[in-house]
Amino acid sequence: MTTLDFISVRKTFGTTVALEGLDLDVQQGELITLLGPSGCGKTTALRIAAGFEFADSGAVLVAGSDITRTPAHKRNMGMVFQSYSLFPNLTVAQNVEFGLRTRKLPSEQRHRRVHEMMELVQLTSMANRYAHQLSGGQQQRVALARALAIQPQVLLLDEPLSALDAKVRTTLRDEIRRIQTEVGITTLFVTHDQEEALAISDRICVMSQGRVEQLGSPTEVYRRPSTAFVARFVGSMNEFAGHVGDGAEVSVLGRRIAVPSAAAHTTGTPVSLLVRPEDLALEADGFPGSVASITFQGATTLVGVRLDVSDTIVSVGVGRGKADDLSLGDRVHVDVHGVNAVTEPV
Amino acid sequence: MDLPLDAPLPIDPELGASTTAPTALAPQSVGRPNAKYARIVPITVVTISAFFFLLPLLTLARHSLQNVPAFLLGKDTIFTKWSLEPMWRAFDDPKFMPSLKLSLMLAVGTVFLTLALLVPTAVWTHLRLPKMRTFIEFITVLPYMIPAIALVAGIVIVKPHARWFLNSDFALIPFYVVLALPFTYRSIDAGLRAIDLRTLVDASRSLGAGWGTTLRKVLIPNLRTAIISASFLTAAVVIGEYTIASTLLKKTLPAFQREYTQREPQAGYALNLLALLVTTLLFVLLSVLTKKRDQSRKPYVPPAAEPTLPHTPTGTLT
Repeated sequence: MTTLDFISVRKTFGTTVALEGLDLDVQQGELITLLGPSGCGKTTALRIAAGFEFADSGAVLVAGSDITRTPAHKRNMGMVFQSYSLFPNLTVAQNVEFGLRTRKLPSEQRHRRVHEMMELVQLTSMANRYAHQLSGGQQQRVALARALAIQPQVLLLDEPLSALDAKVRTTLRDEIRRIQTEVGITTLFVTHDQEEALAISDRICVMSQGRVEQLGSPTEVYRRPSTAFVARFVGSMNEFAGHVGDGAEVSVLGRRIAVPSAAAHTTGTPVSLLVRPEDLALEADGFPGSVASITFQGATTLVGVRLDVSDTIVSVGVGRGKADDLSLGDRVHVDVHGVNAVTEPV
Repeated sequence: MDLPLDAPLPIDPELGASTTAPTALAPQSVGRPNAKYARIVPITVVTISAFFFLLPLLTLARHSLQNVPAFLLGKDTIFTKWSLEPMWRAFDDPKFMPSLKLSLMLAVGTVFLTLALLVPTAVWTHLRLPKMRTFIEFITVLPYMIPAIALVAGIVIVKPHARWFLNSDFALIPFYVVLALPFTYRSIDAGLRAIDLRTLVDASRSLGAGWGTTLRKVLIPNLRTAIISASFLTAAVVIGEYTIASTLLKKTLPAFQREYTQREPQAGYALNLLALLVTTLLFVLLSVLTKKRDQSRKPYVPPAAEPTLPHTPTGTLT
């Protein structure tokens, strides 16, 4: 059983702390995404797992073995990079074969493995092409095949989709997930794209300033963010100023809203109430306002409503068809459902 | 609203104009009024430069390849008694082949030592010591600023204590490595800047390759153009260097050329001309080779309808 464990891993670059005691365990066959803004330490964690950087303190274990000081080429890690990393002097097949050659596998075994990998990423017909003859998406699929060919213990993916255009990105994202599930390989995926993280992960590790903010399933991270940072970073949020009332309620703009998370604060504490657009609804009762914008997003429509009481605009997520009759300037009422709202003391 | 492609565009009742995208403006002359005169300047500069370089070569060619006494070389004799015979005459000299052989061996040795030292150094600098790059660049231009004669002065001082080393013909190689540094380092450095070095190295190492394998199988093949350029430039420096070879009493090709020119002026100049032509041809060859290599790497243009992968939804929101 191959697991990847970070135990209190700390890493600094000069005076900058990149990782502040990272603790993370990736289970066998699991895909965990490190999600966070630039400079949060997610790539540093991945590079430490790969052996390109060494931790100042703490330990990295693979299947229980300490690999903290093992050089990169002696770890059995497959890695796909953000920038296209195929060796330009080699063909697609030779690229996939590269890791097998360094392991000095017999020729027949190498060819069989290369063929398997090419079939896995559905690029058999491109075996004799060079990197510059492939599209970006194809190059990343070859990079994935090359990383998997060596049968690594852990697969490391460093923003492999960020250089691709939107359509290819979605397709390849699904392709990566399919292959990862098929192969059953323990995977650490790094991205700053929340949508990507929500779509592909078994669990998401949201990071900020070298620390783990929240570790949980995509649903948990999205629906029950543990901190205001996670709430703001994953998905979009409306913010209301208010103060905590009695019995898990928050008083906002003269209305009392039931918010379970408010129970953690003492009565009277001034807070920011963070509510997702889909937790606001256009109903008969609520804050009055007028429609300021309508943004069609396919399955849903985001309606911007300027509230009369505060002269601020809030985004309301409206399901298919429900916004069809709305026009700019229409009078509406916005109701707040506080069940999933997050409260942050001001 | 479905309209046939050739139907007139509908009129917007409010605007009173067809609802179409704004039509492109009629093409206008975008050339500057003095554009044709602007070309005259570079043409003039190139012509003057060519004249500056070619005129001495032409006079050298006349002096060495025309069997006409020097005082008679003029307009009237421009097509008279041309012969390639002086050019080949040097080949019959018994000292020619050994000096050519020595220079070629020194060139090969210098190229190997330069690359062996410089490629790993430049790679390491790019990867691990990027802040040192400016300093190293400064070090590599020192041979430009410090004339070879200053190096020779140093050699003269050291000579009595290092005869065991300086007596060997190959003692010239380290000095030539230093002299060629301004050219070779820049060439290798430019090659490294042109590739995604860090990613290639990381990819190679993650696949189990040590530094040696990464250098041999990934970096050197991808630095081929830079290495070829550096090698040609190094060879050119070695084959043309006279000062240090003369000080150390080595019978290299330039030393032979000087001695031979004193004995046989016309054939000596012809030999010099030949050396220049060969060097020029080598550089033309280098240019063509590198250009061909670059042209073979045109970016991939995806076909209009690229086959897409079967879409397998993998939403994991549970």
